[in-house]
Amino acid sequence: MNRTTLRRLAALAALAAPLAAAPASPAALPRDVQARIEAGRPARVARVERDLRARAAALGLGAADTLRTESSFTDEGGRTVIHLVHLHQGARVLGSQLVVHVEQDGALRTFGHALAAGIVLPGGPSITRDAAVAAAQVRLGARGPLAAEPAVERIVFPTRFSGARAFELASGRSSIHRGYAGPLAGLAPYVWAWRVHLQVHNALDGAADWSFVVHGDTGEILRADDLLRRATPAVGTGLGWHRGPVSLDMSQMNDGTYALLDTTRGTLPNPNLSYYADDGSGWTPTGMQVWWEEHDATGASTWNSFLFQGNASSAWGDGQPFTSFGAESGPNGQSAGVDAMVGLRTTWDFFGSVFGRNGLDGNGTTPYATALCTGMVPAGDSWWSVGAFGGYFGVGTWPLLADGVDAPTDLDMVAHEATHGVTSPSWDRYFVDSPGYEEAGLDEATSDFFSEMTEIWAARSGSDPANAIPATPGDGQIGRTFLRTGPLRWFDRPSRDGRSVDGWFDGVKYMDGHFSSGPLNRALHFLARGASATAGDDTHSIYLPAGMAGIGNDSAARIWYRAVTEYLVPDLTGGLTYDDAREAALSAAADLFGAGSAEAAAVEDAFAAVNVGQDHAGTVHAKVWFKPWRNGDYIEIDHIYSDDAGKRQYFPRGENVRPRITVENAADTSVTWSVGGPSMWNGADYYTMAGGRIEADGSWTTPFQMGWHAITATSVADPTQFAEGRAFLVNLDMDSDLEQDATDMAELSYSWYLSNGLNPSHSVFIAPWVDDQDVSTFVDAMKAAWPVP
Amino acid sequence: MRTQILVAGLAALVVSGCFSSAPTASALAYTDPPATSGWRLVRDPSSTASRLVLGLVGPAGTLTRGVGVNLQAPRGVRFGTFDGGLAVEDGGVYDLRSLDDGPEEPLAIAAGLKKGNVLSAGVFQKDRRRPAKDSGATLLRVALEVDPSTCPAAGSSLTLTVLRAAAIPEDIGLTTDQPVALARKLALTELDVAVGTLVAN
Repeated sequence: MNRTTLRRLAALAALAAPLAAAPASPAALPRDVQARIEAGRPARVARVERDLRARAAALGLGAADTLRTESSFTDEGGRTVIHLVHLHQGARVLGSQLVVHVEQDGALRTFGHALAAGIVLPGGPSITRDAAVAAAQVRLGARGPLAAEPAVERIVFPTRFSGARAFELASGRSSIHRGYAGPLAGLAPYVWAWRVHLQVHNALDGAADWSFVVHGDTGEILRADDLLRRATPAVGTGLGWHRGPVSLDMSQMNDGTYALLDTTRGTLPNPNLSYYADDGSGWTPTGMQVWWEEHDATGASTWNSFLFQGNASSAWGDGQPFTSFGAESGPNGQSAGVDAMVGLRTTWDFFGSVFGRNGLDGNGTTPYATALCTGMVPAGDSWWSVGAFGGYFGVGTWPLLADGVDAPTDLDMVAHEATHGVTSPSWDRYFVDSPGYEEAGLDEATSDFFSEMTEIWAARSGSDPANAIPATPGDGQIGRTFLRTGPLRWFDRPSRDGRSVDGWFDGVKYMDGHFSSGPLNRALHFLARGASATAGDDTHSIYLPAGMAGIGNDSAARIWYRAVTEYLVPDLTGGLTYDDAREAALSAAADLFGAGSAEAAAVEDAFAAVNVGQDHAGTVHAKVWFKPWRNGDYIEIDHIYSDDAGKRQYFPRGENVRPRITVENAADTSVTWSVGGPSMWNGADYYTMAGGRIEADGSWTTPFQMGWHAITATSVADPTQFAEGRAFLVNLDMDSDLEQDATDMAELSYSWYLSNGLNPSHSVFIAPWVDDQDVSTFVDAMKAAWPVP
Repeated sequence: MRTQILVAGLAALVVSGCFSSAPTASALAYTDPPATSGWRLVRDPSSTASRLVLGLVGPAGTLTRGVGVNLQAPRGVRFGTFDGGLAVEDGGVYDLRSLDDGPEEPLAIAAGLKKGNVLSAGVFQKDRRRPAKDSGATLLRVALEVDPSTCPAAGSSLTLTVLRAAAIPEDIGLTTDQPVALARKLALTELDVAVGTLVAN
């Protein structure tokens, strides 16, 4: 690189820095005032810690409990936001945390999910750290080597957070998945546990990034969370990722060649790249960078990856779709690297310039991208790894396949993935992104929305301030070029993709987050741009037929950014809901514009337009939902697999039954029934079925297929209101007399504590063992199927 | 207009009234079967004038680990529930919890009202490590009442039918047994239950 080029790059970097021409937000303080307040942040954190220590007893904390500051920052309005986690005997209590707001005048406010009070848990885990890692590795089932040393943490685990999708039976015999089937037997409210983080990237296993909670005494896997953030699986289309000529920040290495390594962005090393040894080339894990996955000439991945480097020139790429397998580091492959770099850089700059955020995670941690993937991520897909703090972007399948998909390295796709780095900044704080949690939809929609805002911001004119988002409309799409026949997702009417939903319903949680994102995508789109009052328009909502006026991109983005960074704080349990999102947005709007402001009213209307809460006028809709009905039975108390264990219903297979449903806010409480539901067409849950025959009045002849079945009830009074629920079908005929009756329960006694394989048919789940899940489910299914009036 | 009034009046009668001129029953009288050494359904002392509680009693000295019964009641009789809403009550003979767990674990007691007015009920020791118990006591209870919607005539004889009853025998093998030998022992003992006479009063 010559000196002229270096000077030019330096000048471009200066241009990219935030401008101070306009206030950062309606509530933003002058920079000198904000700097003074920021300087006092450590003292405020210390004061909060002192105050909380003094109030420990009132908070239900004992001598063994402490609160540790996990992070803090001062927002643009001068509020100090402190995130504290709860420790018991020095170990984190999963999900127990506090968020404290310290206003400029010193006023304190705490909120968040409740602290776990009254923990009595002497001693510690009886199994070793290594034993916990071994148990996690068995569950992971990796055949190849780990990508990094396992990260292990001793924790206190509230057993009500048990459950996740990892509870598949792996006995090698015919059995069913009972991931959501019922309680774990005999767990106390709190147990010692080890939290184990495992990552693999290799040819045998592909890419995996999991967090496991391992019982500290038994080695049982209590919870498993997938930390990879996957984009929508590609369903055939093409590739076209030209960003055109761009300027790039890069590095000239020790040998004089150039690398896609931008040391101007990133002040902390990347947690995954830190495992690589310094090779003396000038490479560092600190600084945004783009890598590529290696293939042979046939396109088979070698499962090696390398930094884009060794380029004799500072010019990268040929601007063409990738076809040059075996020569990924050449000009053709570099084009994908350029796109990925532009996407990461733009997202980083967007959050920094508009919100004053230090990088993606708020701490300046280096993100990185790996492009041209076929192994670490499928060719037509992209993922964000929370643990690796990086994105993996497929090579695409077009133009090698005429009906293939573009490489997902266009700005909106990269910005979507990189926004996961904002909402899930580390494996100590991430949104749970699995089907079964509404939080997954909130996570994906947040990435979609800020991707759109990043695009709009990046396309601003030279006269627009860099610290504000222009009012220009975006394309309203995610993956605009990806499918080559249309985008992946729409904001104005998400159901245009045939898979997403336009409004919230009880059961939206069962959908894949990329499709349960629909309601929030639409709400935020309406908040920014408004909704039509004309039926048939894509922006017309049946829940808000009169429509609404938008408050503009900038105000909408500031409200939602504040909501997700200051109010909607994940606690590792997946407990955030659409109602929480509405409340968080209202709190953020009240902070920024006032509780009685037009912006706050617009938040109410925007969420009401997707069937979440009442609109500003207070319109009440009928509510159809699977109301918790268990009233504190064994399945609900202390053995909760998920937060809706109280509402799930168990039935015997092949019988005529009647599911429960609740309708509120309507004089006519009747419903019509159907099998299946919206979650069935999004490909999210491989285990849920839609079977049997259900009459409109709810008389359901259950099929013989065991496992989870989806059923949907729709209000007769208001057909826009419906709920999708889950019923688990079990086999009660354990004595094989073709009759399901109470006598079958005797088989549980036979089978109690028999080892695997002796009496697998004596489990109502056809599992290779019998335990209290069988007992409670048997009792439940009898009561549900054949109630005594 | 008169026709409409007449039709409305008939509809009300059909829904709520009993047309028979004979007095309708409001209570159930039960006479126990003869005392034998076998299994019997006997009147439980907790019965009241309007609610008949029957207990399933086994032969003294016979050790079992649980019992289930499918009991069909005739038209005119309906099954009732006990505290907790279940249509069966534990007699207190069997240990319905396992040895290991605390008081919150689910009890092995189940009941449901199946098609044909058949109550299927059972109580069991779910933990095979518990010792078998003497069956010569009330093992479970069920409750019956007059179903007023069916207007049973006072004095009419009714028939209770045990469609099936079975018990877990004492010997259910050991976990150390060979699987084939163990499997042979994992079979219920079918029961012949004597039922008394039932009269609606």
